[in-house]
Amino acid sequence: MQLGDARTGKMADNLVAFGRALRRAGVPVDSARIALAGEAATLVDVGRRGDLQAALESTLVSRAQDREVFVELFDTFFRDPDVAAKLLAQMLPSAEAPGERSKQRPRVREALAPAKAPALAATKSDDDRVELDAAMTASEELRLRHADFNALGADEYRLVERLARALPLAMPEVASRRTGAAGRGTRPHWARTLRDAGRSGGELVRLIERRRRRQRLPLLVLVDVSGSMERYARLLLAFLHAATRGLRRDVFAFGTHLTDLTPAFKLADTDAMLEAAGRAIDDFAGGTRLGESLAALHRAHGRRLVGGRTLVLLVTDGLDTGEPEVLARELDWLRLHSRRVLWLNPLLRFDGYQPLARGAAVLHRQAHGMLAVHNLARLEELAAAIAAVMQR
Amino acid sequence: MTPASIDDLLAGLQAAGYHADRRLATAAFLALRLQRPLLLEGEPGVGKTELAKSLAQVLGRELLRLQCYDGLEHRDALYEWNYAAQLLHMRAVEGRESVDEIEREVYQPRYLIRRPLLQALQAPAPGAVLLVDEVDRADEPFEAFLLEYLGEYQVSIPEIGTVRAVVPPVTILTSNRTRDLHDAVKRRCLYHWLDYPDRERELAIVRSRVPGLADSLARQVADFVSRLRSQPFADAFQRVPGIAESVEWARALVALDTLALDPEVVTGTAGILFKQREDVAALTHERATELLRPEPA
Repeated sequence: MQLGDARTGKMADNLVAFGRALRRAGVPVDSARIALAGEAATLVDVGRRGDLQAALESTLVSRAQDREVFVELFDTFFRDPDVAAKLLAQMLPSAEAPGERSKQRPRVREALAPAKAPALAATKSDDDRVELDAAMTASEELRLRHADFNALGADEYRLVERLARALPLAMPEVASRRTGAAGRGTRPHWARTLRDAGRSGGELVRLIERRRRRQRLPLLVLVDVSGSMERYARLLLAFLHAATRGLRRDVFAFGTHLTDLTPAFKLADTDAMLEAAGRAIDDFAGGTRLGESLAALHRAHGRRLVGGRTLVLLVTDGLDTGEPEVLARELDWLRLHSRRVLWLNPLLRFDGYQPLARGAAVLHRQAHGMLAVHNLARLEELAAAIAAVMQR
Repeated sequence: MTPASIDDLLAGLQAAGYHADRRLATAAFLALRLQRPLLLEGEPGVGKTELAKSLAQVLGRELLRLQCYDGLEHRDALYEWNYAAQLLHMRAVEGRESVDEIEREVYQPRYLIRRPLLQALQAPAPGAVLLVDEVDRADEPFEAFLLEYLGEYQVSIPEIGTVRAVVPPVTILTSNRTRDLHDAVKRRCLYHWLDYPDRERELAIVRSRVPGLADSLARQVADFVSRLRSQPFADAFQRVPGIAESVEWARALVALDTLALDPEVVTGTAGILFKQREDVAALTHERATELLRPEPA
């Protein structure tokens, strides 16, 4: 029997460990997948490293963004392709190999390191925070600068919950391309009509018609997290998270660059979402480069926009430090690829506000509508205001 | 007919005119052996749909294709009743048969219009290759509808019951990743991300697809396109050309009796490589010159 042969059982152990490491690196792998990977490994020549890698990749990875993590982990986990005799020894996790660290991404490193006792999570008192502060590094400082992003106060939380319950953002609906039976429609629903006729002995008693079903518009939310928006960004994110639950939504934060918050928004709990968002955003309370951020969105996520249906909510005060030409061009693209671009502007709290800043002027010209979001009353009016803009 | 090894499959695909790399062949081989659907993701024009066609050829199976679009419903994908025939039947037996009998008779399989999914399930041995193309264009309800098929190779028709596959169809799903597919769909599939080919593979593809293409020009085309896709050139364009575009381009160059690439030829035919106004404009004379300059060693 060959060393490292899948049938020796050693492979199974290694696969389970490998699967667990993948999971710790954030790749969704369940036990059914690991079993499938084991089956796949018996079908390829495990002596050929490339084949084994391809077999495991096709069974364990299911998202494009996980591939690089997989490749790095695989490299570390199953090292040395040539010498079959070495295979067994090499299949052991070798996370601590010196000199390799700098090449791996932190996610992979963490996934390979022994699991830490959940000490921090268990006792989340203020004392622990102070301890962390004592050993402050540059990255710690960064973390603390947006530490207030991590959780809502109890009062704020209740407020957001109440608001979201009271005013779920009733997103406008449009006719989808799917149809369903209706009393009055545009064309006959033959299946229903025939079933109906069958019941009355083949007599076409009435014609049932089909009509287009209604569907709610998908949402793209872009939230400015620059210094000038500090006071609003967190609460607005919390509100939008709670109020648009169940809708199809893509959420991004932008300051000096773009951050994808969609994974954070998938978390059910608003606090957990804020914590994840806080971790993801590393330019909180910095500058604003709206044009560049939109360009990044265009490049990386442009095709996620459901042309002509997406409703874009752009939450910013328009105090942009980037080039207005870039902003104008990207807004133009956004307009072409969505149903409506709505600018939610907290600066509307000032009477006689004029969009005079360079960025604000462009936004004012290009967006389909400008709505206020600076206080509760305005938030409560938001759904109605959106509906009104959609009518135009 | 079924390839015995990855090498067999590679050779078979090559004979069918599809130059796959070994990673892709491994994924496809496993999909065949494990009888799992294979989900292919990648940029447009990297050969996702072609793989299904070539697989059908290699396996000697019929290719059935379901093109997905927004609003696709199960009656477009699975089956529909032949209402006109049912109606005629009802008329013919009117008054002579009881209501129950009529109902039983008009919902017979012979009044069923089979769409690709049902055809794939009922295909006689050796079975079919089912291509569910651009599944990311369909909406979530359709994805949910696919789950039963992807997991069990069966579908439920209320009037008839459950239809199970005679031979499990080789199922290929493709996605351009305009949105993320649901985890439930992905869990039922093997997954492969299809990248742009490397220069050598592209050269082999262009050569085999374009008759009458001079060797030096083929090399130039492969070099040019692969440089175009490399950093930092790729950033200058919204969408870089896929394999389909380079093949089309090579065909056009042959038709134009081109002997060698120069900036004029490149800018003059940019509309074949790029399908967006901005990208055509971005391929300027200077940029074309830069791209054609031999790479520094």
